[in-house]
Amino acid sequence: MISHRQGNAQRIAALDERAEALHLKRGMGIADARAMLPSIDVVEADPEADRRLLESLADWCDRYTPLVALDAADGLFLDVTGCTHLFGGERSMLDDILSRFFHQGFDVCAGLAATPGAAWAAARFASDRIVPGGEEEALLAPLPLAALRIEPDVRASLESVGLRTAGAVMAAPRAPLARRFGASLLLRLDQALGRLDEAVSPRLPVAPLSVERHLAEPVMLTDDIERLVRLLATTLKADLERRGEGARMLALLLFRVDGAVSRIAVGTSRPLREPLLIQKLFHERLAALEQDIDAGYGFDLVRLSVLSAATFDMQQADLAGETSDDGADIALFADRIRARLGESAVLKPVAVESHLPERAVAMLPFAETPQRISPPKKPDKMQGTKPVFRPERPIRLFRSPEPIEVPATEMPEGPPMNFRWRRALHRVARAEGPERIAPEWWREAPGQEEAPTRDYFRIEDSDGRRYWLYRQGLYGASHAAPRWFMHGVFA
Amino acid sequence: MTPLDSSDALWNLLEHNRNNCEWKLTVMATSAVARETVFALRRQIAKIEGTLPERLEASAGAAPIDANVPSGDATPQNLTIVRHGLAVAPPDAFLRTGAEGLDTALSGGLPKAALSEIHGTATRDAGAVTGFALALVSLILKQGPRLPVLWIGTAEIFREAGFPYAGGLHALFGIEPEQLLFSEAPRLLDALWTAEEAARMTALAAVILEIRGSPQRLDLTATRRLHARAQNAGRPVFLLRQAGEPEPTAAPVRLVLSAAPSAARETIAGPLAGSIGRPAFTVSIGKSRTALPGQFTLEWNPHEHVFKERRIGEERAKNPVPVVSASRRGKDPAAASGAVLAFPAVEPPALGDQPSPRERAAHRRPRRAG
Repeated sequence: MISHRQGNAQRIAALDERAEALHLKRGMGIADARAMLPSIDVVEADPEADRRLLESLADWCDRYTPLVALDAADGLFLDVTGCTHLFGGERSMLDDILSRFFHQGFDVCAGLAATPGAAWAAARFASDRIVPGGEEEALLAPLPLAALRIEPDVRASLESVGLRTAGAVMAAPRAPLARRFGASLLLRLDQALGRLDEAVSPRLPVAPLSVERHLAEPVMLTDDIERLVRLLATTLKADLERRGEGARMLALLLFRVDGAVSRIAVGTSRPLREPLLIQKLFHERLAALEQDIDAGYGFDLVRLSVLSAATFDMQQADLAGETSDDGADIALFADRIRARLGESAVLKPVAVESHLPERAVAMLPFAETPQRISPPKKPDKMQGTKPVFRPERPIRLFRSPEPIEVPATEMPEGPPMNFRWRRALHRVARAEGPERIAPEWWREAPGQEEAPTRDYFRIEDSDGRRYWLYRQGLYGASHAAPRWFMHGVFA
Repeated sequence: MTPLDSSDALWNLLEHNRNNCEWKLTVMATSAVARETVFALRRQIAKIEGTLPERLEASAGAAPIDANVPSGDATPQNLTIVRHGLAVAPPDAFLRTGAEGLDTALSGGLPKAALSEIHGTATRDAGAVTGFALALVSLILKQGPRLPVLWIGTAEIFREAGFPYAGGLHALFGIEPEQLLFSEAPRLLDALWTAEEAARMTALAAVILEIRGSPQRLDLTATRRLHARAQNAGRPVFLLRQAGEPEPTAAPVRLVLSAAPSAARETIAGPLAGSIGRPAFTVSIGKSRTALPGQFTLEWNPHEHVFKERRIGEERAKNPVPVVSASRRGKDPAAASGAVLAFPAVEPPALGDQPSPRERAAHRRPRRAG
């Protein structure tokens, strides 16, 4: 069983032990391999799927440390600084990782060292080794040049001058090395030996606060998960109180026994720290995701993280011990609706400075702070005088104006006499208008054709229904005849 | 049978009875004996329900039930039931619309802590239905604290009838954009869930649930849940149903809305001909525990935020086109008042719409004789 890839020719990319026993090697052409063994089973490589698998493994490795980074296509960096004592020391942590991966069906090589470079080398060339700080040189010296994470052409030229192990490179004088092979070689060397710091950039932002609970007996029921959330949130509350903050964004990570990780996030519209409310939010979220979360054999680690926090304003309770804060009720209500139905389930209209009716009101997801998307008005002389004429606007607006048929108008530029909308003919009884709304040329991209102006009419049909129609374009202004649209209805 | 079941059954019976009553009223409104029977039946229902008995009273000053019926004939159409013992209910239990006739007919106004249905017979009546509901919300906001209003709708209704436009609401109803919250649910089930959660919040001034048609999910049970929550919270829930059929629901009041020709703009020189001024609505009482079915035309005053009832004589004098009954093709709400019986049997020719079955039959006959 061999997987393979394209490289101008089909070549072996990876192979299992049985194939290795048959003296097949990586990089061998598929045609050669087939000539040797016609019965081999060849599968096309799927780098995307490999990537997804690696990312899910990285998610799972979150249980050991929040700092997990991907390394090329087949490696993971775990920054376990300060985490090892939680698992009983370095050795037992490494054993735990290896045994859990083994039970999931992965054959993993791991190495633990004080520097990323040394750990990388230890994992790939000296499996399962723990390198104490300061012994990186001893580790690297006998290893081949590939252990230094250097480019293949640099490696080839080093080998051509007889430097075949890392130890030989370390023993060579630095200045000629840098001059001949570039600074990257020395950089890698220094990083591996700990002379230079190397930062591992984690995949996910590190949560400022998180609490977790390892479970001896995996949980499967949603009710149990909710109860755990409450317990964790109670622990979290003390931390949040100490920081004077409330959670704005919370994530619940459920680590399944077999390695799958479910990540459930909820946002709040005001800082939150009450465990009961946090539980309620996750209750809605879990109810909405019921189909998507597969508990399988159960979850053995549950973690609640605060992804983002904000300053928590203390509320003064009255003597009866109750805070009468309607805003909090609404915020919680909106959060629950959003947790269940999605981020845009509760919308708030916000006035925008624009002449175009569809642009003048923006619908934003509910947020606590009321905001207007218009620049703060400069105090000028006109302040205090209200506009005398405020154009009438409909109470319902169609998201996309609906084309209507207008057979005849009274005057070329006048309102229609009748129109057909949604296949029904309406006779116009009264009309007011036009109100001309020109397109906002300052928004148009240069070179873009100018949008036609609109002439709006308020129309009352013979049944007394009131509509807002517009004619796009002018008669005789262009080749295309003006078109009519239904844009809204009045009360 | 568990107590719950039996109470359910009783409720269904009552609901059935009530619908029966209305049906009888529509058919036999002219017969005095039948009316007596109806009110005897109503008294019985009142007794079962544990409410106060009602009295039938011919109010001289009350508004006529139907503006379309020429007044002057002696038939006592303008009968109104006035409920005795209103003092039992707290004085602010009802939202007075300000239109005398409608308030009297509803025995004090719309119940504030309840589910109220507002129907439109076609989707294009959305303007009238929405406008009337928002006018009620505006009246509520005028009385109480400035709490937000939540408007829940399905994606379908917002697509078909247009999304409520905050830019137009302030001028007409004085509702600030900051006071509005919208919730768009992809499915009816989600909208109902949101509405149920919202109905028990006291931090909202009113909840508007808007749906289209007569879905099965919105049955007696679902509306009863909404109604019970609204009663507990003491906040109104308005159920707007565009293009919906009247169905048994738990809402005590159902109003059927259609648009009415607007008033002309007032100028110094008198009404401006051909202008579109204050919006007007035709409100028919589709269902109420106390009221006779009736029809009223209300005008909304956007400056003072009050309703004004339009009397018969105040109909626009020089209307360039004949005013056709707004809901000519649907289930006619006006029929409930018994007034449509007075119309001639031949319908006015449909304006380019689908001709009625009767008209279609006429089409098939050869028209030209010679």
